[in-house]
Amino acid sequence: MRELARKYATSVEEWLKGVAFAMQEFLFFSLRAFGKLGAARRYWRDVLDQAYICGVESLPILIVSALSIGSLIVIEVGHQLAEFGAKTMTGRSVALSVVREISPLVAGLMLAARVGARNSSELGAMQISEQIDALRAFGTDPIAKLVVPRLVAAALMFAPLIALCDVLGLVSGAYLAEWDLHLDPGIYWNSVIDILRPMDWVVGFSKPPVFAIGISLISCYNGFATTGGTAGVGRSTIKGIVYSSAFVLITNFYLSKVILDLMRG
Amino acid sequence: MIELRNVSLRYGSREVLKNVSLTIEDRTIKAILGPSGVGKSTIIKLMLGLIKPTSGQVLIDDVDITHLSEVELFPIRQKMGIVFQGNALFDSMTITENMSFFLRENLNLSEDEIRRRVQEQIKFAGLEGYEDSLPDRLSGGMKKRVAIGRALIFHPKMILFDEPTAGLDPVSSKKILDLIARLQREIGLGAVLVTHILSDVFAVADSVAVLYQGEIIFNDAPQKLYESAHPFIASFLANPED
Ligand SMILES: Nc1ncnc2c1ncn2[C@@H]1O[C@H](COP(=O)(O)OP(=O)(O)OP(=O)(O)O)[C@@H](O)[C@H]1O
Ligand SMILES: [Mg+2]
Repeated sequence: MRELARKYATSVEEWLKGVAFAMQEFLFFSLRAFGKLGAARRYWRDVLDQAYICGVESLPILIVSALSIGSLIVIEVGHQLAEFGAKTMTGRSVALSVVREISPLVAGLMLAARVGARNSSELGAMQISEQIDALRAFGTDPIAKLVVPRLVAAALMFAPLIALCDVLGLVSGAYLAEWDLHLDPGIYWNSVIDILRPMDWVVGFSKPPVFAIGISLISCYNGFATTGGTAGVGRSTIKGIVYSSAFVLITNFYLSKVILDLMRG
Repeated sequence: MIELRNVSLRYGSREVLKNVSLTIEDRTIKAILGPSGVGKSTIIKLMLGLIKPTSGQVLIDDVDITHLSEVELFPIRQKMGIVFQGNALFDSMTITENMSFFLRENLNLSEDEIRRRVQEQIKFAGLEGYEDSLPDRLSGGMKKRVAIGRALIFHPKMILFDEPTAGLDPVSSKKILDLIARLQREIGLGAVLVTHILSDVFAVADSVAVLYQGEIIFNDAPQKLYESAHPFIASFLANPED
């Protein structure tokens, strides 16, 4: 029994050590990426490529998500409001939840999956095929060449993508409100414009840069840390998606909470 | 000259190299022979400072590189080309781009000079006509020759080969070994040739070190292998395919 307990304790200890080590490595990795940000000018072609991949190629899934967000809120919240004879308030509810929370969150999760999977699998494959070692051996810093362009491209693209989701979410809400609740679009848009304050945009747009940095660094780090052949690339890809998504879920909550608390004084 | 002094390396609790000492003189071809998973790729990466030893020192031309930063390592790495086990070509770049990429990155050369150097390597490796192909389209032997061409692009004085003939058919293998011998003969290029194939050793090596269970158990001329009493070497000579 005691033997078993000791064994268990050692394996927990080993695991904790592993986690602490990985956190420390991740921190160094992130610092080096920030230190090399200037390389984005030198590798501007890679920045453009990555911006295309994470911006343009993500559009279809983001459009589908954004359209469903607005419609869903109208279906759920609009009907409740209508029961109390307050369906003219539909626009307000949609506006606040879309701009502040749901659109950044859903877009963030979609980007975590797309960008996270792509970075960690692509860099993981380069790691196990020794292409990352080859860069170093011939004098190119792999963080400058591979990580910085991905980081910068995401930081540039996430905000406009989420803005697009905001707009599409609101528009789809307007259509559904008219069609389902027979609410005049003029009334809907008036209440949308009425309720949205600068603070709501601050909350909504504080998120994309944080998501961009978090998702890029987490997924690139996972790619670089890949070991163990093809199966290792699979593991890294899963980790890239899971950790990136968890990051989005957690920071989304805290950013809203902290900024709203601050602004409400 | 490459020198390993009492180099040990562990991954976690696993000790891969134990107190390895080894010297490779310029202009000579040194083979490092060992079974699969013994740490052959590891030893090559140590020589370039791609991984750091747990203890001991790696010296290149009498400079201890053990604690150098990536930037400080670059001039030293330029003296040594490397051909990775799986070639490590960039699969989204053409053959020409694979060769010119690092020249453009690191040296301030004119486009004419870059084109001249790349053309020189393409010709040497016998790859005319494939300049604009992607690596995917080439055979194993040709990819290996591209990797060798890339390794020579900085005009190094030493080249490190990680199992250059593994997975190649006998004809391609022979071509690669001929190329290695020719490089030594014609431009005095020294080489480290890591391999698990005995015939590679006899084909080109001036001397051979045998790596077994993390230790160097033999270090002498290839012919002396037959005089060794070590049971691993004896069984390896008897069944070279193991
Ligand atoms: N990053 C790493 N983390 C943990 N273990 C590793 C790592 N890299 C290599 N190893 C282990 O170290 C040992 C030596 O690896 P190395 O790749 O140098 O062997 P090798 O002789 O080149 O093998 P092969 O014939 O397969 O190419 C192997 O057992 C390998 O599993
Ligand atoms: Mg190997």
